[in-house]
Amino acid sequence: MTRSRWFRWLGPLLGLAFVVLLFGFLSGDPLRFVAARNLRIVAAQTVIVSVGAVGMTLIIVSGGIDLSVGASIALTSVVTAVSLLQGWAPLTAALAGIAIGGVIGLVNGMVVTRLKVVPFIATLGMMGAARGAAKWIASEQTVNPPATWLNRLAVSVPDPPWLLVAPGVWLAVGLALLFALILGSSVFGRRVYTLGSNEAAARACGIPVERLKLMIYTVGGFCFGLAGVLQMSRLRQGDPTVAQGTELDVIAAVVIGGASLNGGEGGIGGSMVGALIMAFLRNGCQQMGWPNYIQEIIIGITIVAAVALDRWRASRPAL
Amino acid sequence: MSCTSKESRAFSLAKGFYRMRMLALTWICAMAVGSVGCGKGSAPKGYSIAVIPKGTTHEFWKAVHAGAVQAARELTASGTVVTVTWKGPLREDDREQQIQVVENFASQGINGLVLAPLDDRALVRPVEEAKRAGVPTVIIDSDLASDSTVSFVATDNGKGGELAAERLGSLLGGKGKVLLLRYQEGSASTRAREEGFTKKLKESYSGIELISSDQYAGPTRETAKRAAENLLNRFGDQLNGVFTPNETSTEGMLLALQDAGRAGKILLVGFDVTTGFLEAIRVGQLQGIVVQNPFRIGYLGVKTMVAHLRGEPVERRVDTGVVLVTLENMAQPNMQAILHPPVDSVLNAGR
Amino acid sequence: MAPSPPRLGLHGISKRYGATEALTRVSLELRPGSIHALIGENGAGKSTLLNIIGGVTSSDSGRMSLDGMIYSPNNPLDARNAGIAFIHQELSLCPHLTVAENIVMGREPARRGWIDQREVTRVAMVVLANFPRAGLLPDQRVSDLPIAARQIVEICRAIAARARILLMDEPTSSLERRDVERLFAVVRRLRADGLSVVYISHMLEEVREVCDRFTVLRDGAVVGEGELASVGNDILIGKMVGRRLDPASSETTPPVSGDPILVVNDLVAPGVRHASFELRPGEVFGIAGLVGAGRTELIRALYGLAPVRSGEVRLRGLRVPSSVRSPAARVHDGVGFVSEDRKGEGLALPLSVADNITLTRLSATSRLGWISRRRQLDAARRWMNDCGVRASSATQRVGTLSGGNQQKVAVARLFHQDADIFLLDDPTRGIDIGSKETVYGMIRRAARTGKAVLVVSSFLPELFTLCDRLAVMHRGRLSAARPISDWTPELVLEECVAASGSPLGEAVQ
Repeated sequence: MTRSRWFRWLGPLLGLAFVVLLFGFLSGDPLRFVAARNLRIVAAQTVIVSVGAVGMTLIIVSGGIDLSVGASIALTSVVTAVSLLQGWAPLTAALAGIAIGGVIGLVNGMVVTRLKVVPFIATLGMMGAARGAAKWIASEQTVNPPATWLNRLAVSVPDPPWLLVAPGVWLAVGLALLFALILGSSVFGRRVYTLGSNEAAARACGIPVERLKLMIYTVGGFCFGLAGVLQMSRLRQGDPTVAQGTELDVIAAVVIGGASLNGGEGGIGGSMVGALIMAFLRNGCQQMGWPNYIQEIIIGITIVAAVALDRWRASRPAL
Repeated sequence: MSCTSKESRAFSLAKGFYRMRMLALTWICAMAVGSVGCGKGSAPKGYSIAVIPKGTTHEFWKAVHAGAVQAARELTASGTVVTVTWKGPLREDDREQQIQVVENFASQGINGLVLAPLDDRALVRPVEEAKRAGVPTVIIDSDLASDSTVSFVATDNGKGGELAAERLGSLLGGKGKVLLLRYQEGSASTRAREEGFTKKLKESYSGIELISSDQYAGPTRETAKRAAENLLNRFGDQLNGVFTPNETSTEGMLLALQDAGRAGKILLVGFDVTTGFLEAIRVGQLQGIVVQNPFRIGYLGVKTMVAHLRGEPVERRVDTGVVLVTLENMAQPNMQAILHPPVDSVLNAGR
Repeated sequence: MAPSPPRLGLHGISKRYGATEALTRVSLELRPGSIHALIGENGAGKSTLLNIIGGVTSSDSGRMSLDGMIYSPNNPLDARNAGIAFIHQELSLCPHLTVAENIVMGREPARRGWIDQREVTRVAMVVLANFPRAGLLPDQRVSDLPIAARQIVEICRAIAARARILLMDEPTSSLERRDVERLFAVVRRLRADGLSVVYISHMLEEVREVCDRFTVLRDGAVVGEGELASVGNDILIGKMVGRRLDPASSETTPPVSGDPILVVNDLVAPGVRHASFELRPGEVFGIAGLVGAGRTELIRALYGLAPVRSGEVRLRGLRVPSSVRSPAARVHDGVGFVSEDRKGEGLALPLSVADNITLTRLSATSRLGWISRRRQLDAARRWMNDCGVRASSATQRVGTLSGGNQQKVAVARLFHQDADIFLLDDPTRGIDIGSKETVYGMIRRAARTGKAVLVVSSFLPELFTLCDRLAVMHRGRLSAARPISDWTPELVLEECVAASGSPLGEAVQ
């Protein structure tokens, strides 16, 4: 409802339009760049980062951080694949993967609230532990499960064509809408903002801060678990080495979308736009035939520029 | 007073901001023009082919690149205009990233893909989707578990492993203890080498005991060195020979042997070539390397693709050859041609 | 029996912090619809008492009652649920959220977990309607509001929570006069609605404007109470100070003469509206005043931690350009500084005693940029010995020392630095009596050896024992400096709390 909170969307959205127009123009064939086929591919490619960014938005808005996203994705992809290999039904296997993600988040939350370890360190530790667990469960190899309908979740061209985009993309869209609603207009969501804005005030107003944090990290973990299942679907295998550094992509998406690492600011919409900006940048750079290093430089500059621009906007006197 | 000063500050900020944006824009435009000039301009008609390696920083892949460019140049000279785009995964050895590269190429009007898959399963879906979108794929270097490909252009890796086994077996005189440090699970090419090695060893040299063959070197020189150190620590006293099935595992093992002061005492046969390996052969720390012909892999990969696009029949399996380089034969001209492919001259001539 | 019990009754509340007795058997009655002033010097125990009522801390003994029922809160939430709202000096608002969201914070109207946005706005509108002139809108972001408006939001939150008692701890310390009046209007209207208020303030004039009853605390005990209208300021001040200081207790020092080492002329800085004084080698110059009067800000400006807006600062006769704003330059000029915030700014707690003492002049214990461990430890041991720092060794971490010993380390650093000018901001804050005496000894010794010392303190007896000359800071203005013999505690206090324009303000120049 807050004018200013919705308003924050606008910046990233303009950025996205700028990126799309720029590459459409540069490629000399704008129609191909925005053709359904290319859009589908970009959507499918951004699913994992987007789903991760939903959970990460929650955590960052509350003033926390989670570095264990990549490792969680690897672990859940392996757990899902192993479950399938054990003959579990696809849905059960997927739920097992998501549950593991939730458990990782719960442990993160416990370490943060009970042991009073700052989130950066707590989740840095989890990053190593979960990655190790993934390699252990997978016996340091990729796990190749039998083909199931799970494999079709994140294809770039959906099986029944009337779906337009892959089921995984719809899943991500649905999740984003749900959490946009939760953050925007549920008591839980409002308390996430309260916590991130001023923890002392939240405590003074009788908000159970510790329990809230526990919930936030757990819910975030469920999101990362779902991202892991989708990763399994894209690779058609559980890969313990996958998603190295994905946590940084996810954090970048959330930050480009207007969130502050100090908490209290940000939103799902912005984060989704942030994820799309990065996906379009990658896609566009490749279409231009630019080498990888230019792509990396541009993405690096984009992250810093987005945040600098945001600070600049915020420092202007309110209109 | 304060009002005007605030305004002027905002103005100068805005001015700075625009200047910054102009600079960035100029830069981006300049790059775009540059890439259009050297990339697309030369191919108004003909075939546009994307070559996707596993990574871009190994010397091996530079030779593949040169071979691909050489093929395109020869074809263009003979009347069929062919352009080659070279693009690896953003993060080396990251399957997800390689999938994204394949997907993005498939959607941008490329005629064919030449792909060295990082995984024989994970890359199946994007390759099949590309085929459905009308983009065929030639697989190079490492196999893909799919029937949807045009051809598989690669070293006969099993034969490479056999060459290594023969070399170690004859040097040891048919008895002793050796170990195999595997590369990484999921890589079909190295698995074939490893199997060729163990099979040949069992068949022809029953007096040689394989005391360890279950350890993996991992993706980098660093992980390989760590694994090698652990193995040497455990088996170092009884060990006579070692086989390592790719560049990074050989590098890691060689480093570990040198650190332990046992290089040359424990016989090492590796795979692939770097200038460091040749030097090690010269000083007797490396008893041989099985060398593929990466230049030929890239060259034949593109040639096969173009032949398929022209509608000519192509072989399902194209062997690019494999040789054993030792101190005795490394000076021969045919070996030199394989060891020193014209990478720089080919790649720089195009610029 | 009285027909109606007091809204809030305190009976024999005591509280100890270690060796110091913060509150001794304090009793107090807060009547419905009364604004009760709690007055006393800094450290008299006012804030401790408020914290006990607000559930932030608990008392060691004694009991409280609320409308005749026993009241014993375990945490702030209990107090809140009992209808007691605490308005802190530091505001506890969420700057990123809107006015309405802050007002309903913690008790958001909701249906099955989903916020009822219309109800939120309605509640906010209803409470905001109490303050039409504040011009607040429910969906304004709090970070866009001025301080005074934020204070209104906090009060609105209290009203929305149906608070029966408001605890206000120095609510006007950061407000301008216009906003103070607005706030008082609000408080009076709340009183008319039957709300009770406990009001802490130093400003006697303000207290008279808004409060009806008072309780005076001194050294943690109640020394007076009654109707404000029936007593004069002189009596209140007398109760707050309580004792006359024995002039014999201060060591007599020879009168100081000679050229001033530091001259400050009409200095203006953030929080400082006007300050002029001179400082001579060998003298101790004291600045009295309340917390927030601008004393700390003055010292920080002199040390280069805050900008100098205008005015002149001369060091040894040379003008210090106002553009040179860096503590590094001041250290180079021979100025030393002890911060009032020992833990946050004064010391590097994880480092050793030796490191902390030699920090500002490592050059004395190093060669070519390499620290000589031996020389550093030697120097540190010498000053630890001289200044009576009690630590197991020079390598002990400062964070593990007692507050008093930490403070000795902070002052010892100035000796090692060999500063000519000591700027001491509340150097005995929160330390035990023994350590205080040691610090006094160090200050006197500094003066004897020709250092110029500037001491800021909230504790009057300390200034009277230490200083040769004294000036008082009030609302950013420094009074004229006068020899200590010309001051009495009553005069100082009057200067501290009186509205500006009292005779002393312009008296001597």
